[in-house]
Amino acid sequence: MKLRVQLQCKNLHEYLRELGPDVLDRLYNHPATCLAVCRELPLLAKNYVMRMLFLEQPLPQAAVALWVRKDGQRDHDECVSVLTGLRLWHSQQLQGGLQGYILNPVFKDNLRIALLGGGKVWADEGIILGPDRHARDIESLDRYAMERWEVILQFMVGSPSAVSQDLAQLLVQAGLMKSEAGEAPYITSAGFQFLLLDTASQLWYLTLQYLNTAQSRGMELVEILSFLFQLSFSTLGRDYSVEGMSESLLTFLQHLREFGLVFQRKRKSRRYYPTRLAITLAAGVSSNSPSNMTNTPGTGDAGFIVVETNYRIYAYTNSELQIALVALFSEMLYRFPNVVVAHLTRESVQQAIANGITAQQIIHFLRTRAHPVMLKQSPALPPTITDQIRLWELERDRLQFTEGVLYNQFLSQADFEVLRDRAQGLGCLVWQDASHRAMVVTPQGHSEVKKFWKRQRSHT
Amino acid sequence: MASGMSWFSHYFCFLFFLLLTSTRVACFAEDEVNLLVIVVDVNPIWWGQQAQREPEFTLSKCLDGVMVMGNSHMALTRTNKLAVIASHCQDSHFLYPSKSLGGGGGAAEDTSSSRDGKYELLAVANSAIAEEIRNVLSKTEVRGNSTDTLLAGSLAKALCYIYRVSKELDVGQEIKSRILVIKAAEDCALQYMNFMNVIFAAQKQNILIDACVLDSDSGLLQQACDITGGLYLKIPQKLALTQYLLWVFLPDSEQRSQLVLPPPAHVDYRAACFCHRNLIEIGYVCSVCLSIFCNFSPICTTCETAFKIQLPQMVKPKKKKLKMPA
Repeated sequence: MKLRVQLQCKNLHEYLRELGPDVLDRLYNHPATCLAVCRELPLLAKNYVMRMLFLEQPLPQAAVALWVRKDGQRDHDECVSVLTGLRLWHSQQLQGGLQGYILNPVFKDNLRIALLGGGKVWADEGIILGPDRHARDIESLDRYAMERWEVILQFMVGSPSAVSQDLAQLLVQAGLMKSEAGEAPYITSAGFQFLLLDTASQLWYLTLQYLNTAQSRGMELVEILSFLFQLSFSTLGRDYSVEGMSESLLTFLQHLREFGLVFQRKRKSRRYYPTRLAITLAAGVSSNSPSNMTNTPGTGDAGFIVVETNYRIYAYTNSELQIALVALFSEMLYRFPNVVVAHLTRESVQQAIANGITAQQIIHFLRTRAHPVMLKQSPALPPTITDQIRLWELERDRLQFTEGVLYNQFLSQADFEVLRDRAQGLGCLVWQDASHRAMVVTPQGHSEVKKFWKRQRSHT
Repeated sequence: MASGMSWFSHYFCFLFFLLLTSTRVACFAEDEVNLLVIVVDVNPIWWGQQAQREPEFTLSKCLDGVMVMGNSHMALTRTNKLAVIASHCQDSHFLYPSKSLGGGGGAAEDTSSSRDGKYELLAVANSAIAEEIRNVLSKTEVRGNSTDTLLAGSLAKALCYIYRVSKELDVGQEIKSRILVIKAAEDCALQYMNFMNVIFAAQKQNILIDACVLDSDSGLLQQACDITGGLYLKIPQKLALTQYLLWVFLPDSEQRSQLVLPPPAHVDYRAACFCHRNLIEIGYVCSVCLSIFCNFSPICTTCETAFKIQLPQMVKPKKKKLKMPA
């Protein structure tokens, strides 16, 4: 029995919480990170931060607790724990001996700078670049970003495409691909799941993996995180200078260039353009909604699939990759120059599920790539299709595995019944069969039941 | 085995339910565009008097507060959008997004790069607002007879803008919009009709109207907020405008249900008569077009219905109809 490994995509908030306190404190030295962190907070916590942004004195905790209505107490507690966990505010003793909250001063100052200015320029641009002779417009940037990203995905499905050693290694480290000595890496079940995610989630997943391995590459985590956030708040279609960037940041920029997050005409070029992928990076991390796709037309694969209630899929695309992805969970019927027709069957979906793809991922794939015509109806996908895909998945989940300890070969029915009732009373009985005098208890209850049985035997 | 089966089906149902609900929640969370339209009263006469009364709180201070509010709104979520309208006594003018910025001229290019660490989008917005308000105040002359702020007109413009934005949305996106009025000068009863029309239009479109009143209470805005479900607040201290804006008006309607906010104000529901624009509690209403008058007039000025003077009418005995046998 192979346990299905679910590809987990953490959001920014979960990622930050795992960082050490000193890393967090250093992160807040940049206005861009502060703004990004602030955006990711729960709605209520955002308001707390805004309310306290311009206060210099700590507020009594009791007063803060009165900000919410009585029935919102749970949300309040959650906000308090989030803000404390991210070290955005500290408790401080007030003069009267009361406990009070005050915003982290570094965070407060930098968030103020991000909102209102009055600080230093984000990047030490030093000089202002003149107009670029090879200036790029937004469309060509979008196209470039999409091409780069497709190259990576294509590499994953095994088509020959030029990918740097670093990137291939990253994919292996992320568990998306596996490589045996001397052979070309091949895709894993996690990799299949990765392919079905939407672009924003894919990007975020890979970035997280990159960050995890950043320190082993000799990179300063805080430095590249700050740069990443700075990138996500930059303006699409503007050029930025690489002046004043450190050596490791320049390497990072080259990696980003390979991901398609930035456009640089030549490796030595002194200016770069952030692409739409970079700008939506910090934005698309917590959500998995279809709007991400519609918001980022640059990612190209938005909206080409029509699903009908008769289980037919029409995919209006020329991309080999997209066709291959659709073929992961469906049976190809016809192929035309601009459209492929496929059929969802029980076998094809179960085949995909055997590859480690979940029903949820298939449905998510179909929904995020749904044609604009499909999006007009609500829900976008026919419910019969989504339900059926889930039911096909559940067919495989008919067995539920529980660990347990088997008791059998009782000498008498009475013995069996005594012990069974005891186990039932303890609430640790998993299964019993009176005719065969066999029962299974949970491992937690095992010692208790055993003790009872020993005592029982010594009595008789 | 029977018990095992039923247990399995329970598990099945539960899982199924969980899947359905979780996807639904995810769909709703980020699909929303939140549009805030701020209407600022820039009536030059009122602000001129104000500068003499309290030199420490001038129009530029007020606009600073508006910018902080706008920046905070745009910074909090990526999908948040902002518009700012200045309501003058001659016309109402879009400060942001402004027409000149749309062209992408050379002037916008200079200001777009942030020189002091501000988020670029906000830097662009703020410089646009500052530029436009300078334009408005220097170019618009105050002509003698009209000294009232054209608030109803600005609100109508705001509604039109909201409508336009909602038409331009991507498929599958939803919009939630509200209007925040920062009101300085006195109410103008002349605008009663237009104002009411705007309020009901907003109510129909599910658009909240919030009001932050600097000086004297405004009956019209009280009604607007009450009808559309917005907040009405007359701030006790003008200098603390920014904090009031951030504390009370920044949270959107969803978060407001969680927060403790100022209690609803007493609403002055008096209507203005159509003849003299006085606020009245008891008056005459035309039975045809529902116009309100403070004095009785034999002919309705709106729909020109002639009212016959009511006399105790003689009830004519009706002729008895003969029942025809069927």
